[in-house]
Amino acid sequence: MSGETKVAALPSVHAVRHGPAWVPQGSQFSGLYLREIIKTFRNPFVIVITIAQPFMWLAFFGSSFGNVGNSAFFDQTVLHAPVGTTFIQFLLPGVLSTSMLSIGMFGSMSTIQDKRFGFMKRVLITPTSKATVYLTKTLGSATRGLVQIPVMLVAAWAFGVPFLGGVLDWLGFILGLTLLGVGFSAFFLAMTASSTDWQTPGVISNFITMPLMFASGALFPASNYPRWMQLIANYNPVGYASLLGRQVVVYGSFDWTYLGYLAVFAAAMLILGTAVASRYLKVE
Amino acid sequence: MSDENGDAIVAEGLTKRYGAITAVDHVNFRVPSGSVFGLLGPNGAGKTTIIKVLTGLSDMTEGTARVAGYDVRKEPMHVKERIGWVAAEVILDDDLSGWENLWLQAKLQRLSGWTVRAEQLLEYFELSDRRKDKVGKYSTGMRKKMEIALALLHQPAIIFMDEPTIGLDPNVRRMLWKLITGVNREFGVTVLLTSHYIEEADSLCDRVAIIDHGKFVATGTPSELKSRVRADFIELETKGDVSEERLRAVPGVSEVRSQGKAWILKVSSAEDVLPGLFAALKGDVIRRINVEKPSLESVFIDITGKRMDQAGGGDVQDFRKFYMQVRRARQ
Ligand SMILES: Nc1ncnc2c1ncn2[C@@H]1O[C@H](COP(=O)(O)OP(=O)(O)OP(=O)(O)O)[C@@H](O)[C@H]1O
Ligand SMILES: [Mg+2]
Repeated sequence: MSGETKVAALPSVHAVRHGPAWVPQGSQFSGLYLREIIKTFRNPFVIVITIAQPFMWLAFFGSSFGNVGNSAFFDQTVLHAPVGTTFIQFLLPGVLSTSMLSIGMFGSMSTIQDKRFGFMKRVLITPTSKATVYLTKTLGSATRGLVQIPVMLVAAWAFGVPFLGGVLDWLGFILGLTLLGVGFSAFFLAMTASSTDWQTPGVISNFITMPLMFASGALFPASNYPRWMQLIANYNPVGYASLLGRQVVVYGSFDWTYLGYLAVFAAAMLILGTAVASRYLKVE
Repeated sequence: MSDENGDAIVAEGLTKRYGAITAVDHVNFRVPSGSVFGLLGPNGAGKTTIIKVLTGLSDMTEGTARVAGYDVRKEPMHVKERIGWVAAEVILDDDLSGWENLWLQAKLQRLSGWTVRAEQLLEYFELSDRRKDKVGKYSTGMRKKMEIALALLHQPAIIFMDEPTIGLDPNVRRMLWKLITGVNREFGVTVLLTSHYIEEADSLCDRVAIIDHGKFVATGTPSELKSRVRADFIELETKGDVSEERLRAVPGVSEVRSQGKAWILKVSSAEDVLPGLFAALKGDVIRRINVEKPSLESVFIDITGKRMDQAGGGDVQDFRKFYMQVRRARQ
């Protein structure tokens, strides 16, 4: 603080007015969403963590069968895939899908930080709805999750994964991953809407990651599972995204049904989550 | 920006309960448009809670409130477009620069053509050259000024200021006082502020409500309130024990109350009573003696029987607030 603070006369400050609301909450939405993006890129640590995890899965887990070589037996009985498929190639869609599971965790944590530091009050004392806060946090998380996709694709290419499928197939797969990321972020943020405890997001993440990752066909084909695990896999969105991706990466084809399932999942989570957050989002 | 009667704020039967705690207890008041209204009270009295309820940050348990002409419960968004808020603990996004904080506020208030005004506000608060720095790197006083700039950006009709000068050095405090008066006079902005600084409430506010345990114990202009107490208070602490009877026997003493180890004596006039008091205390060592001439403090003492800084107390809610109080104590 300066020792001598001059007391200037109050300036005859320029008048402002409220702009038109072409889209209700549009201005608040874009402001808060951009805030999420700006903050993400100012704190690259979160991005590094988000990318490191799937990368390590691909590098370490994907190399676990490195010595098997090109074994027709392995491809046919373990992977249920065409002869010549490598395990990394088989794994890539599963790892990308699995990594969407926990991206909501960072969104939840930043929401809890906003509550604890009082910033949520600063936002909610303006004409901003709780639904807007919730949706921008959800989309912010999903966006953070998507940043890892290009990096992972480059990594996969470096590991020698052949890029089957056309550009449109790949874009469709990325859209599927986006829907999965939005769905799980929406889920996470709804679950922690009324929480102010730093630990909650981590607990939820631990709780859902394990079953949804293993009972999904993301790491191994679900056809090798016992019946009860197949049952979970049949309703597991991580599985839809993995299968959608595997069609592209291993067979070079595209299955619209899976994309449809993912769209339904994302929409359902967004609608449910918005309803929950409008009611239960805590201010502090 | 007011209702039919020209009131910026009308609260009726305003009540807020947190479980078993009644933080605000059936409070009624009106704040005329264009005036400065002060809530004065000790820690935990319910000042912040009143602001939270009036701004729609937290739901009232009972009662009704109209702010800027709109019902807080039914039309909260209309209220929120017309109010500004300065938090006691200074809330900004520390990862964003000063300018980005202003930008976000403009987005949240859906403002168009706000940049000229934002620049003028930065200029006024002497923050122009720091606009690109993250506000996390600002000093306490700069952060406070930034927060007030945010509160003024959208030209609110009413500004809520929760302990606006807590933790600030005397220069910045005086500057803020001038600013609050200026904003009020020149723009007709209604100000509702809370404080536990007697002088602050006395010099800034057109009307003051003294609040204790969630209830208004007195309301009026500072001079009205002071004239109600036609007495001085003497606060006295001695080394040994003094009996209450001995103090009561001193001529001119009309009331004696104990507060911890100290006594509070209500007297007609301190100047007349002191010689008699010293005579009566003969032999006892006086640790501390304090004379309170009519002031808002003496109004509080008169009604509640305790000093404002000794009421409540021990209610430090979080570290930041504690830190602020330590800073204040060190000044
Ligand atoms: N979120 C909450 N949950 C439970 N109790 C609360 C909550 N907020 C406030 N209270 C209680 O309500 C009462 C009034 O608190 P409030 O913050 O309004 O006091 P205040 O007058 O602003 O005090 P201070 O001068 O310390 O800021 C206190 O007893 C406090 O503990
Ligand atoms: Mg307070």
